[in-house]
Formats: sequence, structure tokens, C-alpha cells
Amino acid sequence: MELLTGLLSHAVLSGSILAFAALGEVIAERSGVTDLGVEGLVSIGAVVAVITVAVSPHPWGGFLAAGIAGGVGGGVMALTAVVLRANQLLCGVALTFLGVGLSAVLGRDVAGAPVAATFAPVRIPLLADIPVIGPAFFAQNVLVYLAYLVLPVAAHLWLFRTRAGLALRAAGEYPAAADAVGLSVMRLRSLAVITGGIMAGFAGADLTLAVVPVWSDGMVAGRGWIALALVIFAGYRPIPVVLCALLFGLVTSIGFMGQARGWPVAPAVLNTLPYLGTIGCVIVPLLLSRRLRRTMAAPASLGTPYHRGGR
Amino acid sequence: MSAPLVRLAVVPPRRLAVARILAVLATLATVGIVLALSGRDPLLLGRLILRSTVGSRFGLEDLALFMTPLLLTGASVWNGVRVNLWNIGAEGQFYAGATAASAIGLFVPLPGALMLPVMALAGVLAGAAWIALPAVARAWLSVSEIITTLLLNFVASLLVYYLATGPWADHVTNALASTERLRILIPAVWGAVHWGFVVALVVVVVLGVVLARSRFGYETAICGANPDAARYAGIAAAPLLCTVMLVSGGLAGLAGMIEVAGTVHRLQGGIANNYGYLGIVVALLARGSAVALIPAAALMALILDTGIVLQTAQISASAVLAITGGLMAAIAVADELAAYVRVKL
Repeated sequence: MELLTGLLSHAVLSGSILAFAALGEVIAERSGVTDLGVEGLVSIGAVVAVITVAVSPHPWGGFLAAGIAGGVGGGVMALTAVVLRANQLLCGVALTFLGVGLSAVLGRDVAGAPVAATFAPVRIPLLADIPVIGPAFFAQNVLVYLAYLVLPVAAHLWLFRTRAGLALRAAGEYPAAADAVGLSVMRLRSLAVITGGIMAGFAGADLTLAVVPVWSDGMVAGRGWIALALVIFAGYRPIPVVLCALLFGLVTSIGFMGQARGWPVAPAVLNTLPYLGTIGCVIVPLLLSRRLRRTMAAPASLGTPYHRGGR
Repeated sequence: MSAPLVRLAVVPPRRLAVARILAVLATLATVGIVLALSGRDPLLLGRLILRSTVGSRFGLEDLALFMTPLLLTGASVWNGVRVNLWNIGAEGQFYAGATAASAIGLFVPLPGALMLPVMALAGVLAGAAWIALPAVARAWLSVSEIITTLLLNFVASLLVYYLATGPWADHVTNALASTERLRILIPAVWGAVHWGFVVALVVVVVLGVVLARSRFGYETAICGANPDAARYAGIAAAPLLCTVMLVSGGLAGLAGMIEVAGTVHRLQGGIANNYGYLGIVVALLARGSAVALIPAAALMALILDTGIVLQTAQISASAVLAITGGLMAAIAVADELAAYVRVKL
């Protein structure tokens, strides 16, 4: 029992980082921009959060600062890949290099030191007393509720229930049509990419302020890339994407538990589980159902810069 | 009234070259200003970089050694991009190739003359095997190859680290972070530069010629440019796409074999040194032409080598990574801006 609770708790916690980042990427990709810069922006967010709370020990201050830093990074992506219409993949990889490199330079002075202020767990009365799942789902820090509940529902309503969301999706499906009805594709896509950047920054803050409270170089360890995979796995939908993040967190914690309990498998081999699990999750559903292929399809103009008067 | 801006569909190579040179200069100027502000002498560093890269025999040898894997991983990615397939997993295939080649070199007793060809073959096959699942999934199930190939990089990197520090670790010298030195190495051709460099150049040129002249190259080009037209012409796209990806994997695997047998001489964690990811940059810089992979790899090698020089001058590897990112972004923007011309009416 205790093992299961621990497993679930860890899964919920580590999945929340991916939920923030993947949710942001859903918004960016729905508008037609593949933003491969997530890994870099999560790194920037993580280090900015640590530096901010080192100056003034308020976790929310660190969280917001990380969001702003991520938003600035998203702005760089928007400027190069949307406004100037440069190759999205090249700009994204460049942004990842920039972000990972800069975060290590910025974090040199705080590396290894314990983080000054973190988000403490909040027990929800009654619900937290449910055996097994109670402690895992209802006695977590506030960011967990933000990542799995508040933001995905908000994003879902925005994308699928408002005119602004319809406009954003139009920019990703058929930008020429969006342009023809007087919407600014450039503004819509820039907004979406900056929002995605802010969410990546939040993911970084979640990592250092709630999950692993210390900054070390390379600690993001591919989480940004995994978030990108989850977006495809979830069919570019906000609510499924956070559930996928949770599932992924579970796979990660199985490896973690294996190490803690001394299973006779090398840690490095256990660490490959999340990646292999994601690959399985991306392939297996399509193997089972042909219809899924259409409902899970990417936005039609994903990755294509929009030129008015182009083909 | 000002003349209107027009976007060219095909950018003349000279415009592209000028734009990229401007992008490099702009990045250098920015870095120089930042260095000057942080109290270093950018001109002194510049002279140091020139002397230790293109300005000396040792520098040129280093450039060739950096170019060798970049040519092949660049070719690996380029080969896919031609058909609109994005192999982001050259890094993992590189590891697979290096691992298979090391396994042959360390554990299979072969006569000397056979050793290197068998190692190369093992490297190519292992690279192709590492991309096989993503290739099949992409060709027949339309699963995005970007994600599957990418995720396998992490798996490969972890497994190589495990092998090099665990079961295959060197118990002779007790350097437990790598395997023993391979017994048979690729012979040198010029100083530290080995025949792998020549092989990589030949492979790139042959790949370009074959794809430009063969039926396979023609059919895959159609599949990439217009899948509907390909189907209409009776071309079965799925086996072709799968083959293209397997070739890409093989090229990256060969890069891994050459790196381990020619340059590093033992299998160790992190041996791929981001060459797979940088291959994406090389391929994008080369655009449509295989021969253009050569100058693209040379530029990337120069950047890497500059990074090493800067590290000796107490500038961290992370700062160099950030500078590389900045340069890539500048080149991406320059490529796009070069397409715009003012036309006089």
C-alpha cells in the first residue's frame, strides 16, 4: 500500500512538470508553429526561479519570474520564426541551445545550493484522507492542481469554446482562410508561441521550486523533448495531454522505485523506461485503430510559415 | 514611392552566402561586445581562435577530425530532409554504430585486414537497426518520426553509458568510465587525421551522385515533393520512405564507427558529443545540395573548434553552446531575409 502511494505521489509530482510544458506546446502547435525550443525555455525557467527566490524568498515570485523569462524566450521564437518567418525547426533547436547554454551560465552561482523557498504541499481536507490515492492526488503542492486541473480546463475552454480559440486554431489549420476573414495570422501565432514559452517557464519553476529543489546544470534532462512527444501522443488536445503527462510520470516513477528498492536491473536501463514507454504509447494506439489516425492528426499547416499570396 | 518587396522562390547562392556572412559577423560582433563588457579583450581572443583553428597545422587537423562525424550525420539528416523526413535521431544511431563497432573490435577475434570492414559493416547495420522501428512506424502507420527517433537518442545514450561504465568497463587501466582501447584503429592519413575523413567525404559525394542519378533517388524525390503525385504515378511510397530512413540510420551508424575506431579509440559515455543534433544544423545549412554538406560541416567544425579554444580561455562550454544557438538563429533568419528583393516597377 505504502509503495503504491509513494509511486503515485511521485508520478503526479514529476508528471506536473511535463503537463505545464506540453500544455504550452499544444497551444503553440495549434496555431501552426512547431516550437522545438521547449527544452531551452524549461531550463531558463528553472534557473530564473531559483535565482529569484534566492533574492527574495517567495515561491510565487520565482514562479512568475520564470513565466516572464519563458515568455521572453517565446518572444524570441515568435520574432524569428513567426514575424521573420525563418525555418521553425532551425529556430527551435537554436532556442534550445541558447536556453540550455544561458541557463548554465546564469546558474553558476546558485548551482548545488538548496533552493531558498519552495511550494509546500497543501492537504485538501477529507479528500486527502482517502486511502492510497488521497495523499497522491489531494496532498500535493498548489502547482500540481494548476497543472492538471486549472490550466488544462482553461486552455480547453479557450481553444474550443471561444472565438479567440477558433481564430488561433484557424491559423494552424488554414492560415490563408484566417487571413481572408481579417485575422492577423502573425499576431495569433506570436501570441500562441509566447503563451507556450510562459508555460515552459512555469514548467521550469515547477521543477526547481516543487520537485527537485536544487539547481544543477543539465537537470532538465530532456523533459522538454518528452513534452513535445506527449503533444503528438495526446492528439494536440489540452486535457488528454496532461493525462498523458501523468501516465508518463508513472512510468518514470516505476524506474525510480526500482532503484530505491534495489531491483536487479541497472539504473541506466530503468532510466530508459520513460522514453521507450513514450514510443510505445505513440505507436500502439495507431496500430490498433485506423480511425484514430484522423482524429489525432496534427493541425494541417503545422510547421509551415505563412506567406500571404503564397501557394 | 518605395519599390515593393518580393519573395523569391529560389534564392541565388550568392545572395545566400552574403546573407550568411552578415549573420556570422553580426553574431561575432554581439559576442565581442558581451566579452568586452565582461572585461575581456575580444581582439586578443579572436587572434587566439584564428591561430588555433585555421591558422596552424594542429588547428586544421582538429577541424578535419570534427568535420568527419559531422559530414556523415549531416548526410544522414540531409538524406531524410530531401524526402521530407526528419531524422532527429542521428545521435542515437551514432551511439548504436559506435557500440556495434566496439563490440566487434573488443570481443570478436578477426584477422587484421578484415577487422575494419567488419566493424564498419556492423556500425552501418546497427545504425539502421536503431532507426528501424521509427522507420516502419513512419512508413506504414504515419507515426511522426521526429519524436520516435528523438526519444531513442536518450535510450542509446543511457545504454552506452551503462555499457562503458558497467559490463564493458576497462579493468586493465581501471579507467572505469570507458572500455579498453580498441586493438585495431583506422590508420592516419595526415597527422592526427585518419582515413575516416576521406571515407566521409567520398560517402557524401557518392550519396549526392547516386540520389541525383538513380531511379531510387528520382522516386524518393517525388515522394518528398508531392506524395499524391507519387501515388498517382504508381510509386509505392511506404517501402521507399522506410528504405530512405534505414539509409539515414546507416550513415549515422557509420559516423559512430569512424569516431570510435578513428578518433576516440574507445567506447565511452557521451561519445556522440551532440554530432547527431549538429547534423541537423549541417543538413539545414546545406539545403538542397549534397556537396554543400562539405562547407556546412566545415563551418560547424570551425564553431566547435572555436568552442574548445574559448574553453581554454576560461569561457564555459555552456556559454559556447549559447553562442552556437545564437549563430544558428542568426543564420536561419538570414536565409529567410535573403529571399526578399526590392523590384523596380
